[in-house]
Amino acid sequence: MTMIKLRTLLGVSAIAFAASTPAMAQEKTVTLAAYSGIFQDHYMKAVVEPFMKANPNIKVQFYGMPNSAQMLGTLRAQKAAPQIDVMIMDVSVAKAATDEGLFDKVDESVSRNVADLYPNARIEGVGGVGVTFDNLVLLHNEDQVKTPPTSWNALWDKQYAGKVAVPAVPDIQGTTLTIIANKMAGGEDYKKSVEAGIEKLGELAPNVQTWDPKPDVYTPIANGQAALGIGWNARAQVYSDAEGSKLGVTLPKEGSGFQINTINLVKNAPASDAAKTFVDYALSPETQARFTEAMFYAPTNSKARDKISKEALARTAAGSMDQMIGIDWIAVAGIRDKITEQWRRRVIPLSR
Amino acid sequence: MMTITVPTAPTVSRPALGRTGTAAALLLPIALINAIGFILPVLNLLRMSFNEALAGGGVRETFTLANWTGLFGDSFYVELIINSITVSLSITIATLIVSYPIALYLHRSTGRWRTFLTVLVISPLLTSAVVRTYGWIALLADQGPIVSAIAALGIAPPRLMFNTTGVIIGLTEILMPYMILSLLAGFGRLDPRVEEAAMSLGAPPAKTFWRVILPLTLPGIALGCLLCFVLAVSSFITPKLLGGGRIFLLATEIYDQAIVTLNWPLAATLSMLVLIIFGAALAAYARVLRAIE
Repeated sequence: MTMIKLRTLLGVSAIAFAASTPAMAQEKTVTLAAYSGIFQDHYMKAVVEPFMKANPNIKVQFYGMPNSAQMLGTLRAQKAAPQIDVMIMDVSVAKAATDEGLFDKVDESVSRNVADLYPNARIEGVGGVGVTFDNLVLLHNEDQVKTPPTSWNALWDKQYAGKVAVPAVPDIQGTTLTIIANKMAGGEDYKKSVEAGIEKLGELAPNVQTWDPKPDVYTPIANGQAALGIGWNARAQVYSDAEGSKLGVTLPKEGSGFQINTINLVKNAPASDAAKTFVDYALSPETQARFTEAMFYAPTNSKARDKISKEALARTAAGSMDQMIGIDWIAVAGIRDKITEQWRRRVIPLSR
Repeated sequence: MMTITVPTAPTVSRPALGRTGTAAALLLPIALINAIGFILPVLNLLRMSFNEALAGGGVRETFTLANWTGLFGDSFYVELIINSITVSLSITIATLIVSYPIALYLHRSTGRWRTFLTVLVISPLLTSAVVRTYGWIALLADQGPIVSAIAALGIAPPRLMFNTTGVIIGLTEILMPYMILSLLAGFGRLDPRVEEAAMSLGAPPAKTFWRVILPLTLPGIALGCLLCFVLAVSSFITPKLLGGGRIFLLATEIYDQAIVTLNWPLAATLSMLVLIIFGAALAAYARVLRAIE
């Protein structure tokens, strides 16, 4: 390349750079970390894209990760110079992150919508607040189980021996099932003891085909490798809507337990004001209603309920709040190791 | 006594310092990569194994031996360690048994046929272990062809997947290329003329195998077993997919502790333990090699 050409090129890029700077100063980027896969697909469409349309000077970058633990790992690694502004993750992991000083507090000063949240969406000791509620459901393959089961007891039915898929502890689906089984077996407060539940799960063990369904619990049931199982309502609802899906979803009469995803502000993150604007938007009744319609997570904002269609509401736990067992996930985090130990010693070995 | 004059290398008139300097310069890049990519992270893990895990996934920086003493004081983990070693040994032996005849045949074949067979042996390595494991899931499933074939014979079919059997079947197939290649590499001393000599002196084939072929191929066997054992202990995807959550092995437990339970100190302790097991395997390999020589 000749010297003149090189100089021209440098000049042109300098002009281009100068021209782009003012625009860049106005446009802010918020990096949002949350679950990859179908959560990302639906959250992009129902929340992120409408947000960017309403706030043209804020760009939201969705950084998808497969689970909350990986998000915590990333946060720890970036502690000195955070790259993520907002993080949506499971409440118990958010508690650990808050304890390590990785999150700022989300309260009324960040978003006025916080005042309208259900009480169980504001969790003591967690930086963020609840943004979605999900609940454990009973899954069945519609070819192998003709009448949709109405009770968790279907899992114990001997006719499905070797056909039950249960994600075991330490997965929190297993933890939730422990608490439900404990209640069904007439056990006392799960925070004191889950002895009755563990015993009941021991009776379930011989029926179980896999304790670690892959890639998730929905796939083997949808394709008939397993007949029954447990999973989360929102994902199950989406998969059951897929063309030709054989996945059936029911909320058993004994009730179920909640899982809570929280939305958190990362401490010392680059886009603090824009990030707060996004959190405020995510918690608003309109956004919450839109995401419920899209993916059947129950809203955490009490004012969202009236904006959701009856059909969508009926497919979330919001339609049956009275059947829910309140699970204190912060207390559960303290007894999780003990529950895991019991499963490994007294439940899983009975299935060998 | 006979005196042998050992031919010495021609003396080079270069100063000794320059030679060591060149050697050091040549070694520097790999030493640097190893230090940054291996030694530093391992030291980091070692440090992490002395930290305290808090309930709910937090980590407190401190210095405690609790993770280490807890590991050996807990019957679950002792059983898990023993289970990991026995399952990996079973896989190693199964891999050796099915790979040995293939390697021997490959060693004796010549020309284009040999090239073709070698490509055939290596080709599974072109697909990831995940894909091959899902292939085994399709084959071993309850409605799969193998279970159906056994049922068609009028035998109650055993469960072939989501248990130890499934893990051993899957990993044996996945590790076969490594074993075959190691065996081939170690078969260098196996000269067909030695076999012919044994046969011409009247040794029946079985005796030729046990007394001549097998001893000469021991270095290859030792190398293949070391490699497969190490790979079996550290493999994680296949046991995770084919174990059905029933099989607790070191690699899957490290994953669970690091990713699901968030107990990084315990995961680090288990990782260090795996490193110790590898060290022991290497030491055993060195002893076997010395015994063969």
